[in-house]
Amino acid sequence: MDIDDILASVDHGPGASSESAALDHQLLTRFWVAERAVSEVLPWPAPLMERIMDRVRIQIETIEDLAASSESALPTTANTHNPNLNLRLSILQTDLSRTQYIVRSLLRARLAKITKHSMHYLVLLASRNKNPLASQTQSTASSQNPNQQPEDSVPDISALTDVSPLSEPESTFLHAHQTLLAGHYAGSFMGAFPRQLRRLDDNAGGTSMIQGPELKEVVFVRCLGAEVPVVVGGEDEEGDETGVTMRMGDVWVVRWEGVKGAWGRGEVELL
Amino acid sequence: MSYYDIDSILTDAQKLPCTFELEVPGLGILEGNPGEDIKAGTRIDLPLWLGEMLSIGARLGTSRLVTLDMPDALSERVMNALKADPRTLDLRALAPHFYNLSERILELFEEEEMVDVLSDAFKKRAAEIADHAHNSRGTVGGGVDFLRGLDETERQLFRAAHDRAKDMRIWSGEAKRK
Amino acid sequence: MAFPLPRGITASEIAFLAEMETVTIVPRQRLEGLELLGGPVEPLVPPRRASLPLWLALLLKRQRRANIIPPTWLHPEPLALILEFESQHQDYKNAFSPPPPCPFTPDGNRYYVAPPFLPQNTAQTVTSSRDPPSLPFHWVEVGNMLLEVASDDLVDPDQIRRLLKDLREVRMAKMRSGVDVLDAAATGGGGVALTGVGSMELGEERGFITGVVDGLRKIGSSKEQARREQMAEQRANGGYDGTQDNDEEEDYMEF
Repeated sequence: MDIDDILASVDHGPGASSESAALDHQLLTRFWVAERAVSEVLPWPAPLMERIMDRVRIQIETIEDLAASSESALPTTANTHNPNLNLRLSILQTDLSRTQYIVRSLLRARLAKITKHSMHYLVLLASRNKNPLASQTQSTASSQNPNQQPEDSVPDISALTDVSPLSEPESTFLHAHQTLLAGHYAGSFMGAFPRQLRRLDDNAGGTSMIQGPELKEVVFVRCLGAEVPVVVGGEDEEGDETGVTMRMGDVWVVRWEGVKGAWGRGEVELL
Repeated sequence: MSYYDIDSILTDAQKLPCTFELEVPGLGILEGNPGEDIKAGTRIDLPLWLGEMLSIGARLGTSRLVTLDMPDALSERVMNALKADPRTLDLRALAPHFYNLSERILELFEEEEMVDVLSDAFKKRAAEIADHAHNSRGTVGGGVDFLRGLDETERQLFRAAHDRAKDMRIWSGEAKRK
Repeated sequence: MAFPLPRGITASEIAFLAEMETVTIVPRQRLEGLELLGGPVEPLVPPRRASLPLWLALLLKRQRRANIIPPTWLHPEPLALILEFESQHQDYKNAFSPPPPCPFTPDGNRYYVAPPFLPQNTAQTVTSSRDPPSLPFHWVEVGNMLLEVASDDLVDPDQIRRLLKDLREVRMAKMRSGVDVLDAAATGGGGVALTGVGSMELGEERGFITGVVDGLRKIGSSKEQARREQMAEQRANGGYDGTQDNDEEEDYMEF
């Protein structure tokens, strides 16, 4: 279950009523704060973002029409005819900039995480590759290829349909970014290394070169459900052990891995 | 250990005392005698990564090459001083990455009591760090010495606390100026 | 770097969020209703009260197009009561005064509204509430901004400013004395409650608290690991002594 389910449960369809505009605005705001608060990339809320961007486009048109009408009117009559035109324009523009700020900050926060943990996310996506041959040929090629280059450790994710938690453009960006980076490493220093030292996904010596986000870091949450237990060990399904229980309205400092599931169900919000 | 983390790499290079259990031909270079052998019973300070690697023989079932000792930074004397008053110690002089080193050492040695002593010291010093970080007028008197003696983890903590407090003051100050 | 800001929203972003709070105004001019991205805005007809997002109320106030009716809590009397509660009440020596009550209904609707989208900063009618006064989540920001832009709409703004400052000091001291209990958040399944904390207060202490908890987690990680292995062993219920047999060994085998 993820945020899309919550959105679906409150979505009133493509009618884009003003009521759902207010709700979408709240969901976007909450998602932005959450994305800024955790170390990993959160699942991209595609339907929500599409609705938001549709409304942004329409709002830009509205503002342009309004601005055009103010320019076409004679300067002397403009004020007497509609004294509020400039006020309305400035309110609409402020409102638009505020939404644009959130979207931009959200996207940049995601890009920062995607580039910081690029190999982690590439490997994560590639592990979903349905074709077992694709991954196999790659690993055998890596050990034998005499012309091993850093670029060879960038997994091919072009055939994937499920790129969660990323959006389509983000997955394209991720692959292009890592390919460029590997090429740059090759050209500037790695090309001169012995070929077995040219990989970017090595884990010899007990230290993996692939660094994922730290899910044990603490976050601040507000409990929205009646009672929400904090899970011990997060992803580790074994036992499903729980620790302290938060109550509605409480604010807690807890490990992200302990409340990630509850966040996905909309039972807590990040602060 | 984190691959791209500079503090993690520097921690890996911190020295700890190792005693060779066996004679090793040709390894005299570690003692500064290239070409010579290393005798059994020789005690040398080796970087954490090397000492750790050489000591795993014991766990593999073969006889161990070296045994590890607690580094001076985590000696009983230091633990007693931390128990008495953690705020008076210059941790940086003991080890620039004191807590990172402790974390690694505690993976090698089972020292439950040390975990408690270090946690307690870290908390007491953290409270002191918060006081200094929020004091916009700068530190006076003993504060300077205390801050100079912070290890790298504590310095980062100071920076985090200080930057956030400053961020907040800038916001409220700007709000007044407008 | 793609995004040089630290994790967690910054002070100015917290204020930006607080500007989404709803406040009550009395318009001084007419304005037709607007469809904003944040939702619809009702038509303004003086002297009828209207509810608007704070950013819009401040925009109108700056242009002398409206007056802001201060939120119920932003008066000298309720603030003095809260301050007394925060500093005198035995049960709240180390805790914040309780936040405004939650208006959620836990079942049925799966979306729970939370600040800044709850009416915590509107001017309620005098008889509306018998609840003791409480500080809303965005109290620092809303208080600061209204003192800044609309002090002539507040009752005794100097007194309010003094009370807000005292409240901040009392509460910050509580926040910092809490370092001792942060261990509880450093283990899996654990946590520390900060209920009643304000958004800006949380933002100010965020870096410090996460730093302390993460430091404590790392110092205690060997202990936590040992405890987990012990439990896994108990679960397996066998006689296998696997405590020394951990991951490190396998990692080095690849050398």
